[in-house]
Amino acid sequence: MNKADKCMICFIVLFSLVSYIPFLIQMTKTRHLKKEVVVEYQNEEVLRKDLSENATYTLNATLGDVIIEVKDNAVRVEKETSPYHLCSIQGWVNNVNQPIICLPNEMIIQIEANDETNEVDTIIQ
Amino acid sequence: MNETKKMMNITMLVAIGILFHLIESMIVLPIVIPGFKLGLANIIGLITLYRYDNRMMFTVNLMRVFLASLMRGILFSPGFWLSLCGVTLSTCVAIVAKKHTQMSIFGVSCAAASAHVIGQMMAVSVLYQQLLLGIWMPSLLLLSIPTGLCTGYLANEVIKRIHGKERV
Repeated sequence: MNKADKCMICFIVLFSLVSYIPFLIQMTKTRHLKKEVVVEYQNEEVLRKDLSENATYTLNATLGDVIIEVKDNAVRVEKETSPYHLCSIQGWVNNVNQPIICLPNEMIIQIEANDETNEVDTIIQ
Repeated sequence: MNETKKMMNITMLVAIGILFHLIESMIVLPIVIPGFKLGLANIIGLITLYRYDNRMMFTVNLMRVFLASLMRGILFSPGFWLSLCGVTLSTCVAIVAKKHTQMSIFGVSCAAASAHVIGQMMAVSVLYQQLLLGIWMPSLLLLSIPTGLCTGYLANEVIKRIHGKERV
């Protein structure tokens, strides 16, 4: 390893730390807002529920049923049919930046903050 | 190097690349970060770049992704596009890094690994029309350093050992 290699590694570390800042800001901004679970299947919204309501939802996806559990302001995939079960291994998720993505089932589970300013932002996007 | 020998070399390298790609897709890592892989197939790309030329690295990497996806049955599915985007960007970055900087194989490997992460993120954002998985990008970039160093080290060892034994 020479000097240029070390520069490259430092640059990657720095870049990764800088790219984390916007997410940190968004996380602190949305911490005390009311949140919703949004489930998308094949790029279409199929479910939108309050995150504070404890419940279990069963949805039909590409490879079979996906069971989504909402409890104590967090959401997880309880059971699903996929080769590696990556989305159920991911476990409980409670922040807006961390979607659960099940590629084999073409399903995305996201938490959205329910806020006036946020809605305006999505429309502008 | 005559044409036939060159073609044979490409074939062999692609075959080893496909093997690594397939083995890698069978390994389920205990770290739950979506998209995190070891990048074993990158070793072959690096060896090609250092032993042969830029064009050959492109050929080997792209053919490897195409054929391995075909064998896994995921050709033209989202997983394939992620792979293709990542590999294209990482190959470009590796070539530029080798040609225009003074980095050794370790630095080139790290740069290629992080470019792979960025390429995949771009593909995910285009496919799903939003910045999904963005939260994982910092951690994936950090993890790309040890994996990049690891693949760089392995490629370096291979190049050292085959150097001199086989005349190209």
